[in-house]
Amino acid sequence: MSYLEYTVKRTPSGLRKLLYLNWPLVILLAAVSGVGFLMLYSVAGGSLSPWAEPQMKRFALGMFLMFVVAMVPIWFWRNMAGLAYLVSLLLLVAVELFGSTGMGAQRWINLGFMRLQPSELMKVTLVMMLATYYDWLDVKRTSRILWVLIPVALILVPTALVLRQPDLGTALLLMIGGAAVMFAAGVHWLYFALVAALAGGAVTSVFVSRGTDWQLLKDYQYRRIDTFLDPSQDPLGAGYHITQSKIALGSGGWTGRGFMQGTQSRLNFLPEKHTDFIFTTLAEEFGFVGASSLLALYALIVVFCIATAIATRDRFSSLMTMGIAVTFFLFFAVNMSMVMGLAPVVGVPLPLVSYGGSAMIVLLVAFGLVQSAHVHRPR
Amino acid sequence: MTRIPLRPLARILNARASGENPDLIERENIARRHEAMRDKQRHQAEGRLVVMAVVFTVAFSVVGMQNFKLAATEPTEPRAAVSTSPIAAQRADITDRNGRVLATNLLTYSLYAQPHLMTDKERSASELAAIFPDLKEEDLLRRFNSSIKFMWIKKKLSPEQKQAVHDIGDPGLLFGPREMRLYPNGRLAAHVLGGTSFGREGVHSAEVIGTAGIERAFDERLRDPARPDPLKLSIDLTVQSAVRQVLYGGMKIMNAKGATAVLMDVRTGEVISLTSLPDFDPNDRPQPALQGDPSDSPLFNRAVQGVYELGSTFKVFAAAQALDLGLANPDTLYATKGPLTWGRYRIRDFHDYGPELSVTDIIVKSSNIGTARIAMQITGARQKPFLASLGLLEATPIELSEAPSGRPLTPERWSEISTMTISYGHGISTSPVHLAAAYASILNGGTRVKPTLLRRDAPQKGDRVVSQKTSAAMGGILRQVVSRGTASQGDVEGYAVGGKTGTADKPKPRGGYYKDRVIATFASAFPSHDPKYVLIVTLDEPTETSGTKPRRTAGWTAVPVAAEIIRRAAPLLGLRPEIEPDKAFEVTRVSSN
Repeated sequence: MSYLEYTVKRTPSGLRKLLYLNWPLVILLAAVSGVGFLMLYSVAGGSLSPWAEPQMKRFALGMFLMFVVAMVPIWFWRNMAGLAYLVSLLLLVAVELFGSTGMGAQRWINLGFMRLQPSELMKVTLVMMLATYYDWLDVKRTSRILWVLIPVALILVPTALVLRQPDLGTALLLMIGGAAVMFAAGVHWLYFALVAALAGGAVTSVFVSRGTDWQLLKDYQYRRIDTFLDPSQDPLGAGYHITQSKIALGSGGWTGRGFMQGTQSRLNFLPEKHTDFIFTTLAEEFGFVGASSLLALYALIVVFCIATAIATRDRFSSLMTMGIAVTFFLFFAVNMSMVMGLAPVVGVPLPLVSYGGSAMIVLLVAFGLVQSAHVHRPR
Repeated sequence: MTRIPLRPLARILNARASGENPDLIERENIARRHEAMRDKQRHQAEGRLVVMAVVFTVAFSVVGMQNFKLAATEPTEPRAAVSTSPIAAQRADITDRNGRVLATNLLTYSLYAQPHLMTDKERSASELAAIFPDLKEEDLLRRFNSSIKFMWIKKKLSPEQKQAVHDIGDPGLLFGPREMRLYPNGRLAAHVLGGTSFGREGVHSAEVIGTAGIERAFDERLRDPARPDPLKLSIDLTVQSAVRQVLYGGMKIMNAKGATAVLMDVRTGEVISLTSLPDFDPNDRPQPALQGDPSDSPLFNRAVQGVYELGSTFKVFAAAQALDLGLANPDTLYATKGPLTWGRYRIRDFHDYGPELSVTDIIVKSSNIGTARIAMQITGARQKPFLASLGLLEATPIELSEAPSGRPLTPERWSEISTMTISYGHGISTSPVHLAAAYASILNGGTRVKPTLLRRDAPQKGDRVVSQKTSAAMGGILRQVVSRGTASQGDVEGYAVGGKTGTADKPKPRGGYYKDRVIATFASAFPSHDPKYVLIVTLDEPTETSGTKPRRTAGWTAVPVAAEIIRRAAPLLGLRPEIEPDKAFEVTRVSSN
């Protein structure tokens, strides 16, 4: 029995719940998605097809799902967490067996009406699962070794499956997101120090293993790291993305070239201009002002999530909200750093802005969970 | 944490002795212990939140700082398009209509360094800095000493520079052959040619990519290795040179901030000369400006991209259509008593031209009221398709990459008042090339021509826009504008110049019109009894100051410049000066039937 279930009587019911939604968060999400529509419209050379219109439809569907999820009491979702985690795990296994291949990696399951990327789903269900675990676990046991190994296993199993696809970026996001939930739950910091030390050792061994017969990463992954460390080594090959997007960001200057005036992205200099690299279009057309405004919008979303996490006093709601905030934060922080040349190119989309179906819908559903926690918080 | 015992023996014994319930003490202690635990937990949770908030803040500021840093870097013009084709050398030449070279290739060398092969980095850096004054010795040395294995030093070298670098003798300084685009005539025809930049760069060659103008519009054709033959343009280098020289002088004398001239063959639609000032050197194409109005940039092609309200030059279309529809002949009289009131609008003339004027005199004297009355008779339902048939309602098909951006501005609703204002050139904005093609279509015997920059030998066989008779009559009327009307300074002996002036107030960016800034245009044709060429001259914000008051109208500014251009260019075009046909003959021929 969770603390949650004692406080049912004070929460709003029926359609009155709509009044208790975290509306500023809804508006922020819509604003960020609106920026996405504008950019997709511009990237297509001033046309709704082929990207802006499907994206709007998905946004509408995602928003609808968000409201539905928000209406359902948060303790229902808590009880569903284990099931959701299992289903995502099964889907990950399924994608391994029957998935279709795109861009050199096996990531999708075709559902007919949309292509589902189970690794996206996993990011949310993993957070839910860990939050439920710590809600159930006696606080005194949080840092005992046995009770630390269980969540570590919960994180590592899906991470390993995602790594096999192979999708290094998502695997890292899963690990860091899960670790963040454990950290917020109060696991002793020595564990984290230990893991950090081990990771350092692993990175070293990855580099040492290069070229030997026990090489740990694929060649293309090594190349990405190389070009990240020095893009000028190969400005027209693997370093092309970074060099071009840096040029685009530079040419935006302070106020940018103006809507639909971007050259780099519209003249096809940039590959992936509508997905992972859409931020360059924004930075080129609206300059520093536009880019930092988007950054501010993202920051506000994170702040509102943290506010909800503090306002909800039960462990499940606050840990889950925190975890979703961290996952969301990782998405755009990694994407922006990658576009600006601060991190290697790992395929991570800009959340709610990049063109892409399942990512947007999954994110909006995740925010539906945050909303549900917000509506059904004890008062 | 020091634990308080739940049942301290001394207190319990005391309590028992005084007859109190010892369990109360235990309960109190349990509550205190719970409180302590809760406080510790909350403290810990808050600590964790603070740590995460710090991480968030740091990450945000790192991303923000990088964003700031990149925004502050120098903008560069966009580079390569992604393509899988290997870097192809040898771009085809571009020549004028007589085969004289406008753009060709030159073999130069690029200079790069492989620091790990260098023997004496300090000496090389200081000697390189001496050869190239724009390179800094410390910079070079810092880059030589970093761990990179490859770096560009210079993309283009002159032969002297190459020899000097060779003499340094460092094995880590290497040359790569590189073909670059050369425009031997410099600024001449800059806007037609556009420019190129390096695309994908390799050590052994670099891709040359058209970034503007003809170079961009025909990029694939010029790069196609299967077509090494030069691309032949309609431009005539000699004429272009004369036009640019006269126009440049005219722009300075008339204190204009910009000028453009388009000379077109009326039958073939070939653009013989196209000049837009200020211009630039395509060998060293400037970076596009990020601040300010792009139309003030030297890269802006006023002839093609500049859409202006061209004012009274449009009256010719109303007159031609009225004649062609049989609504009027050149002598039909229209009321010109002003002002003409239509709803809340008032149409005025520059002077009062009396109660009525003939169609010829409406054009000769440039009466807005008379033209508006002609337009009312034509009606918008017939005016719009007529202007469309002249190509005035869509972007020109001229072969420049900038052409699609020169889309005319037309009213959203073609109301009666727009029909009237459009008839005298207000409420519709087009480029000078549009105007040239429309005048050519009306004056060449009445068939549509589309502007082209490629050499062609046969006349265009376009749709008929007006009858032969109307075409000839319009030639006569335009001649009278010069011989006794608003363009009297446009007469050039022997070439029977005809034309129409237009002076339009410039619109303010936030609506309304400036009182003292105009676009002055002279659209001319010569010789007017059998037009062979159309010349459009447009000056941006001219002021002629030889009189007591500054004069801005086209008759005082654009017309004399155009006349000087015709005086210089007509002989180069192979036209022989001739005695003008008898004026009486001209009038009878036009009005007899």
